[in-house]
Amino acid sequence: MDLGFIAQYFVNGLVQGITYALVAVGFTLFFGVLDVIKFSHGDVLMLGAFTALALFLGLDQLASPAWLSLIIMLCIGTLAMGLLGALLCKFLVLPLKESPPLNTLLITLMFGSVIRESVRLFFPNGSNPKPFPALLPEASINWGNLNLRLDSVILIFTGALAIVVTHLIIQKTRIGLAIRAVAQDEETARLMGIDFKKTVLATFALGSGLAALSGISTGLYYQEINFSMGLMLGVIGFSAAVVGGLGSIYGAIVGGLLFAFLQTLGAIWFSVPAYKDVFAFAVIIILMAWRPTGLLADRSAERV
Amino acid sequence: MCKAQRLSRFWILSFLCLFFSGCGEDSETVKITFIGPLTGGVSAGGLGGRNSADLAISLRNQAPDTKYKYELVSLDDECKPNIGVQVATKAAANKDIVAGVTHYCSAVAMGTVDVYHKFNLPVIVWGAVLPDITYGNDYLEIHRVNGTMINQNTVAAEFMRSQNFSKWAVIHDTTDYGKGHFKYFQIALSKSEGTILGTFGVNPDQQDFTAELTKIKALNPEVIYFGGLAPTGVRIRAQMDKLGMTQVFQGTSGIVSDAFIDGVGDLSEGVLAFREGAPTEKLPGGKMFMEAYEARNFNEPAEAYGAFAFAATNLIIDVIEQVGPDRRLIRDELNATQGHQSIVGPVTFDDHGQNTIAVITKYVVQDGEWVVWEDSEYASGKRFLK
Amino acid sequence: MSDLKTKLVLLLGVALSVIVLYGFLYLEREWEIGVLLVMVPLGVYFLKRANALTYYQHAAREMPRFTWISFALGVVVLIMLLRHEDFALLMLTTVLLYATVSLGLTIQFGFAGVVNFAAIAFFGIGAYSMAILNQHFLHIPDLLIIFFSGAISALLGALLILPILRTRGHYAALITIAFGILFRTFLEVNDVLGGPQGLRVSGLEMFGWDFGNSFPNELGGGSFYVAYAIVALVLLATGYLITRLIEASWLGLNMDSVRLDEVASASFGINGPRWKITAFMLGNCFAGFAGAVYAAMYGFIAPASFNLSDSLLLVSIVLLGGIGNPVAVIPAAFLIVVLPEKFQVIQEYRLLLFGIVVILILRFRPSGLMPRGLRQYFAGRFG
Repeated sequence: MDLGFIAQYFVNGLVQGITYALVAVGFTLFFGVLDVIKFSHGDVLMLGAFTALALFLGLDQLASPAWLSLIIMLCIGTLAMGLLGALLCKFLVLPLKESPPLNTLLITLMFGSVIRESVRLFFPNGSNPKPFPALLPEASINWGNLNLRLDSVILIFTGALAIVVTHLIIQKTRIGLAIRAVAQDEETARLMGIDFKKTVLATFALGSGLAALSGISTGLYYQEINFSMGLMLGVIGFSAAVVGGLGSIYGAIVGGLLFAFLQTLGAIWFSVPAYKDVFAFAVIIILMAWRPTGLLADRSAERV
Repeated sequence: MCKAQRLSRFWILSFLCLFFSGCGEDSETVKITFIGPLTGGVSAGGLGGRNSADLAISLRNQAPDTKYKYELVSLDDECKPNIGVQVATKAAANKDIVAGVTHYCSAVAMGTVDVYHKFNLPVIVWGAVLPDITYGNDYLEIHRVNGTMINQNTVAAEFMRSQNFSKWAVIHDTTDYGKGHFKYFQIALSKSEGTILGTFGVNPDQQDFTAELTKIKALNPEVIYFGGLAPTGVRIRAQMDKLGMTQVFQGTSGIVSDAFIDGVGDLSEGVLAFREGAPTEKLPGGKMFMEAYEARNFNEPAEAYGAFAFAATNLIIDVIEQVGPDRRLIRDELNATQGHQSIVGPVTFDDHGQNTIAVITKYVVQDGEWVVWEDSEYASGKRFLK
Repeated sequence: MSDLKTKLVLLLGVALSVIVLYGFLYLEREWEIGVLLVMVPLGVYFLKRANALTYYQHAAREMPRFTWISFALGVVVLIMLLRHEDFALLMLTTVLLYATVSLGLTIQFGFAGVVNFAAIAFFGIGAYSMAILNQHFLHIPDLLIIFFSGAISALLGALLILPILRTRGHYAALITIAFGILFRTFLEVNDVLGGPQGLRVSGLEMFGWDFGNSFPNELGGGSFYVAYAIVALVLLATGYLITRLIEASWLGLNMDSVRLDEVASASFGINGPRWKITAFMLGNCFAGFAGAVYAAMYGFIAPASFNLSDSLLLVSIVLLGGIGNPVAVIPAAFLIVVLPEKFQVIQEYRLLLFGIVVILILRFRPSGLMPRGLRQYFAGRFG
């Protein structure tokens, strides 16, 4: 096949992969810190995108320039979702710390449902797909059969930057140190004087902020958002995090890119490109059977 | 305990009273059901249809010589076949409902024909264009006032060939609607000697089309034919631009709605589509309908098929006035409809309950609006399709 | 308590339940249902005050077989009372079928601790099996097709066994969710199985009786749904019997111990994977049976009917009733299926409300409305 087309597929896949990786990193953070799967992550992503859209509609009335709107949307969107994440943690997740982890999974799943339905019911015309403004420059470069759009490049770059920044926060700052300590051993961390609650809240806020970023990126890329986009992205993000190994940020990134790669492969191979999702999920299930704790996870001992 | 026992006795008594609370139902109210997509991506069409049916009912209720009082029971089929079957079953199982004005989405209409037949509920389709809905079965209950997609695609093929296009790539959704359009377009195109370079079936809810479009780009067609509804069409058109594809986008009646133009914005310029029936203003009763619709101040416009919903509702009311609110009598009377005057012209149901609509309108998007081809600047040569 | 007295108490319980259920299904106006909704908990409260409930529980424990037979007969009476109401029967049958699936989930999750977020996928497998076998293999009797549907569900579920066994907790949950999505996506892209358009399913035909015909006039006449309702009842009754038998036997004991602590039970020689597999396949089998009857009744199935939200709905039913309690599943299914139909307002907000309800339950009363009682270790009777 023509190199240009391969490059086209590669670029498409990369944008998707970074989006998935952002979601996966969020999942991994939550799990690492609280041993909890926050299944409403995908729907928080969707809510972030809708918040940004609502902001945009408001800002549009005030005739603000595109770049300013974008920055405001990003900032407020991520902050708002960070806040929501923290609230969710405080009221729904922390109180259930002592119950079987399945209850937490269920409660967050249901919360995700609640967010999804609320948007569908209460956002004006929520059940219709909504056009998302094209705020990124639409210039494109044409190299033979490859059409490289500037916005794709910007999105890839921003996503990668977000991941790098997250990594730096986790590795180099005090709060990052606290997060890592709590993830390793909660009791000892508390003994060492780390404020458990604050750390956990911070983790949730961080993860949810990343989700909002991912949501806004998706909106900007497809120029469309709808109330059910979070479900699929959440499951894919979760799969990516699990395949990469829950608790490992590198694993999440690998998982996200892997899933996008599988999808692209499926799209090329199969004559009916729609089979790509079936293909990708099937491979995930097989990978889970082969490596139950993920590709990059640390070997963990189980206390009996 | 004594008090509890007394309370329990009171409880049992009042409970029994519920069952004797009598029927306060006004036995002169006749219920007609309207089923269409009231939520979801194609809700614009559904709401337009519902408003039009509602308009018809209120106008007739106000008219002095109407024997019965009519009530519209509107149900949402969400343009999904399974939901459609559920609400159709609900309506059909309700003995108070005597007839129905049903369905905009062909996929849903195909799923529900059995339900109406099973429960003997006579219905008139107002927006779905798949021929099999009336021709694929021998049910006496199913009728349709709008035309089918066969003519639409024949005219489309001839017209596009006359504009000197010869190479197509086809994207169609995998519901009966999209598949039907593809089938008839393919037949029509082979008669007009056009070539289809590649066909891609997609799921109507699919989000990402870059894979399919990249493959199409490799085939290098002149036109991309899209058989499907507006939400899917919006995504495809937007993503074509992402990949730098400049082919002409040709759609069907499914995208003739404001929702499509709102969704793609400027990219809608030069998009073509075809629809059976004249534009509402040019229909025989069109002006009257539009004025009455405006006067009611609905939140949503009537859209392309509102007039048909209006006509269908009026036809049902006419029949009920004649034979009374009985499902079987209504069904038989509808089957005998010949040359019945309505705002869309004279309605005659053939032996499969299908009305014939001769006119096919060609549309092109110009400056953010659907304009009839003949009236557009493309026809007069001032603008050019890519 | 004398035998006769016990039987009378039990029959009274059945009669009351039948009347209440009839009320819910038959009454149409919203205020009437509202009144009923208020009166039933009040009634339960009074009965509790009058110690009538403990009386009833004792009676039920003394004669368990009589209890469930009388309840089954009670439902038959209910069906007969409602025989002319198409839609009420449709709802009742749906409740019975969902309750069957929930019983399967109870075995998987309440007994053996195997998480299953793809219950609706197995339901769907049963439905599609019925659709295809019915259309293409006309000479196979429908009863056999129902069995096959259950078997196919169980077998396809077996595909997931290896991944599920090798993983714990969240990972296993992910696998079932992924499978659910895979199932639905596969159906949508596959034209052979109808694609998004869905498939038409012909009705059942058993023992020479075509279910499409109205109920015979000699037996009182009525809608054709009566036959389906009876089939669903038989299915539920059988399922309930099996569940109870399992619970009371060493099978259930093993499953419970595997759920509570797999490592400890392994050290006692209990084969964890074996019981998990058994529970998983059996539960899916139930779902497959229910799906087959559902498909035949509705006459139409499409991939869009089988998505994650519906799986979550089924999980809510089990949670609402009380995990591990087979009896609780039936009133919970009833509430979740019937109430949104009766209150149009709720219908739109259905998923939202159920999400909130489940969140509240998980937060404040994780054991559900009717928590599972302690296991009774006395030999002999079940239940």
